[in-house]
Amino acid sequence: MNKFLSQSAEYLPFLLSGVWLTIAVTVLSLTLATGLGLFWALCRTSGIRALATPVRLLVEFIRGIPILVILFYIYFVMPEVGLDLTAFQAGVIGLALTYSCYIGETFRAGIEAVDRGQVEAAKSIGMRQGLMMRRVVLPQAFRIVVPPYTNNIVMLLKDSSQVSVISVAELTMQGKMLASSTFNNLTVFTLVALLYLCLTLPLNFVMRRVEVAMGKAR
Amino acid sequence: MITFENVHKAYGSHEVLKGIDAEIGKGKVVCLIGPSGSGKSTLLRCVNGLETYQQGRIAINGEQVDATSSTIHAIRTRVSMVFQRFNLFPHRTALENVMEGPIHVLREDRQVARQRAEDLLTRVGLAEKIDAYPASLSGGQQQRVAIARALAMRPEAILFDEPTSALDPEMVGEVLQVMRSLAEEHMTMLVVTHEIQFAREVADNVLFLDGGRIVEQGPAAEVLRNPQHERTQDFLRRVTHPV
Repeated sequence: MNKFLSQSAEYLPFLLSGVWLTIAVTVLSLTLATGLGLFWALCRTSGIRALATPVRLLVEFIRGIPILVILFYIYFVMPEVGLDLTAFQAGVIGLALTYSCYIGETFRAGIEAVDRGQVEAAKSIGMRQGLMMRRVVLPQAFRIVVPPYTNNIVMLLKDSSQVSVISVAELTMQGKMLASSTFNNLTVFTLVALLYLCLTLPLNFVMRRVEVAMGKAR
Repeated sequence: MITFENVHKAYGSHEVLKGIDAEIGKGKVVCLIGPSGSGKSTLLRCVNGLETYQQGRIAINGEQVDATSSTIHAIRTRVSMVFQRFNLFPHRTALENVMEGPIHVLREDRQVARQRAEDLLTRVGLAEKIDAYPASLSGGQQQRVAIARALAMRPEAILFDEPTSALDPEMVGEVLQVMRSLAEEHMTMLVVTHEIQFAREVADNVLFLDGGRIVEQGPAAEVLRNPQHERTQDFLRRVTHPV
């Protein structure tokens, strides 16, 4: 145990630099994925086929490809067509694109779960589509999607470890490097796992509070 | 003020409205009665474009109702609606529900809209409940908020789609009372209802629909006391003397 603690003290600074990058990758790609996902969901529920169909195909297409392949594609194939990206940029874009599809589907389910009568009530006082979405449908849809959206966030945080394959020095990558140079697999990967838990568990807690706070208003 | 000329509607091959002609005068209360599936609610929902119709014409003060046109939003601000299931916005308080249309659709001044919403809620007997969320209100209270929300648009007419059908019996009276007071002020009202007693007391005219057609129409007293058509007689016998 003492050995574990003294080694931890030695390894932690190195791993923490990975934690910051994990957080940066997660926050950036989550922000992009949420914005894009909302856009996908609005397209798919717009009732305008010229918007809904292409988005549906795109979402099905991306969801059908493993995230690793998408990352390789963006990082290794894009430069061949003249789009040079750093590993960090490619990682964020890949994660954002993939998760925008999951999050988009989560939002779409939420929008469709809002009672039909709400839409009629909004229309009956003369609201147009945009105003109705903003004032009536989305606030109710967000409340519905908090639990599945939380799940999306946790999955995204964990999947940010995948960008290590294109050499982004986030937590998993740092762990791997540390382990291969010290041969101290037990200590290193235990620490890596604990550090991930330090991120995911508070996140669950915060989102549960959000859920309760939003639920109060009904 | 509301005119129907030869209105037809079908869902696929199923005809729901088979040529409706009627005229709702300004300040009149008209009740639509008839058996389930007769097309009453569908007809009502065509008036503010929640449903489309395929043939004929519905007009509000001469302006045609076309659910596919951008003019429909303006028409909906002039003809508001009260629903069977209230459809209040659950994430907003009673007051916010009533202010929503005036502030965001009519772009009224916030203070003015708020004052008016308070007055309207007081008028329907809910002065104490302005900050309550719909979930904490009874069905009768929710429906009265919904009526206040409809009134807040300063409509030329209000459509009521079975406003008391989802209520517990002891709450029907409070809602009908509010509707009665609107009738006294000569609000134009088109009411789909099963409350024959209400129709008898309050309605100027009654339209009896069956199978997508108006079988009988006329002054409430005549149609309800002395129905001419066999199907009207039969229907009234069944709803006033349930077995």
